[in-house]
Amino acid sequence: MADLAYGAKILIARGLVKSYNGKRVVDGLDLDLGAGSVLGLLGPNGAGKTTTLRMLYGFNEPDAGEIRYDGKLLRDNRDELKGWIGVCTQHDTLDHDFTVEQNLRIYASYFRPPLPAENRRVAALPDTFGLAEFAKQPPRELSGGYQRRLMIARSIVQKPRVLFMDEPTTGLDPAARVDVWRLVSALRADGMAIVLTTHYMDEAERLSDAITVLARGKAVARGTPREILGEVLGEHVAVLDVADVDASALQMWAKARTGNPPARVLDEWQIPLTANQLAAFSEAFSHCRFTVRQPTLDDLFLRLAIESPRDPEEAR
Amino acid sequence: MSWSPRLRDLPDWRTRAVFERNAQVYLRNWRTAFLPPALEPIVSLLAFGIGLGAYVGAMKWHGQSVDYISYMAPGLVAQTVFATPFFESLYSSYVRMFYQKTWDGLLATQVELRHIVWGEITWASARGVMNASVVCVVLAAANALGVLHIHTAWLLALPLIGFLAGWCFAAFGLCFTALVPSIDHMNFPVFLVGIPLGLISNTYFPIDPHNAILAAAMQANPIYHLAELYRALLIGNGPDVHLAWLAGTSAIWLLVFATAAQTLVHRRVLGE
Repeated sequence: MADLAYGAKILIARGLVKSYNGKRVVDGLDLDLGAGSVLGLLGPNGAGKTTTLRMLYGFNEPDAGEIRYDGKLLRDNRDELKGWIGVCTQHDTLDHDFTVEQNLRIYASYFRPPLPAENRRVAALPDTFGLAEFAKQPPRELSGGYQRRLMIARSIVQKPRVLFMDEPTTGLDPAARVDVWRLVSALRADGMAIVLTTHYMDEAERLSDAITVLARGKAVARGTPREILGEVLGEHVAVLDVADVDASALQMWAKARTGNPPARVLDEWQIPLTANQLAAFSEAFSHCRFTVRQPTLDDLFLRLAIESPRDPEEAR
Repeated sequence: MSWSPRLRDLPDWRTRAVFERNAQVYLRNWRTAFLPPALEPIVSLLAFGIGLGAYVGAMKWHGQSVDYISYMAPGLVAQTVFATPFFESLYSSYVRMFYQKTWDGLLATQVELRHIVWGEITWASARGVMNASVVCVVLAAANALGVLHIHTAWLLALPLIGFLAGWCFAAFGLCFTALVPSIDHMNFPVFLVGIPLGLISNTYFPIDPHNAILAAAMQANPIYHLAELYRALLIGNGPDVHLAWLAGTSAIWLLVFATAAQTLVHRRVLGE
C-alpha cells in the first residue's frame, strides 16, 4: 500500500484491523479523505464496508491501526472529534416519538459545545432539505425518501467536517435517489468531506471523487472509477449469449488467458478483457457472435463476487 | 471493555441528555405511559388490602397488632419502587435499543454507550419515583378515609428513598435486557426473577426464613430492607436498622449490576 502523507487530508486511517469471533472483517486497511471530497467505499456484501465505517466514526474500536482527524487521534480525542463527525446510518434511527423539527432539535442537544447560532441553523434545516411542510409531523408519516432527507439533515445538524453515509439511497425510488444525490453534491460543494458506501455503481461513479474497493476486508483497488476499471478489469467487456458458446471452453480460455472465470449474468457470459486479450479472444471464438462494451463498476462487482464468494455464515 | 460501573459518567451532560430525551417522550405520552402502571398498585391495594385483608384480619408485626391493609401498604410502595425500574429497564430500554434504534442514533453523536446505560438506569429509577408517588398519594387518601392507619408524614420520604434504591433495581433489569435474545425471552426474567423476587421480600406477606442460607439471602436483598424500612416509617417508630441495610445492599447491588450492565450492554450493542 502506498505511503500516504498527512497534509490537507481531514481523515487518515492506517492499518485498520477488526475481527469478530476470530474472523478478520477488516484486514489492514488504509484510507485517506481530503476536505470537500467524496470517497466511495465499494465492495460486495461482507467486504467490510460497514465495519470500516463504524470504526471511522467511532462506533467500534479497531483492534489495531489508528484513525486521525486533522492529525488528531480519534481514540485519544473522542469527545472533540465526534463533534466533527456526522453519521447517516443505513438503517432508520430517527426518533419517531418526536416530530421532524424536534428530531433536529434534540439531536443538536447531543453535541457540545453548541453551535453559536444553533437555533437558527436547526430552524433553517427543514427548509434546506425540503422538509418544511412536514416539520410538525412525526417521521413515520413521511415517505422513505423524505425520511432519508431527514436522516441526512439530522446528521449534519452540528455542522460536521466529515459526513459518513452508509448506503444512503438503498430502498429509495429513482426520484428520491436523485434527490439524495443532489443533497450530497450540495454538501460537498459546501466543503464537507464525505465517505459513502453504496451498492449502486452509477451512484458511486456520479458522487465519488475517488473510490476504494474492498474485498475480504482489504482494499483491492483505489482511484477514480475509470482508473479502477482499467486497472482491475481492462478496457473492454465481451458479452456472449450462453446458447452461442461452449461454456467449458470459454471458462478454460478465460481462466488461462485472463486469470479469472467469466461472469454469468442471466443468459449472458461477460468477460472483462484488455486490448491484447480481446484480440486473442476474437481469434479463439471467431465462430461465436459477441458484442464488446466498456466495463462498468457492475463488472467489477461481479468480478469481486466471483473472487470472494460470500461466507455462508455471513449470508445467514 | 473493562469491568467497571463507570461511575464518573453518571453526572456527565450526556447521561443527562439521555435522561432528558426519555423524559420528553414520556411527557408527550404521559396518559398512556403513566396512568396504567400508576393505577396498577391502586388495584392491588383494593384487591389485596381490602379484599384479602377482610379474610386475613389483624397481623402481628414487631410485637404489635396491625390490620393487613396497613401491613401491606408499605410493601406496596416497596414493590412499586422495585418493579417499575426493573420492568422499565427491561422492556422500554429493550424497545429503544432493539426496535426503535434510539441508541444507534445516540451513538452517532458525542453520546457514548456508557452514558446511555447510566441515562437509562437513572430514568428507570425516576419512573419508579413517579409511580411510587402516586401510590403514596393514594395511601394518604386511604388513611384520611380511615381505610388504613399509617404515619402519613413519612410518605414524603418514601419516593426519595425509592429513587436511590431504584438505581440498583434498574441496573439489575438492564443486565437482562442485554442478555435476552429476543423480547419473547423477557418472560424468563419477568416470571422467574422479577415477580418471585418481589413476592419473597416481605412486601405482601411476612416471610420468616428458618434456614440460615435463606436468611442470609434475605439480608442481601434490598427489596426486603426497603419493604421493612417503609413499614418501620409508616406503621412503626421511624427509621430503623433496615435503613443502613438498605443503603449497604443497594450500593453493592448497584456496583455489581451497573458494572455487569455496562459490560453486557457493550457486548450486546457493539458486538465486542
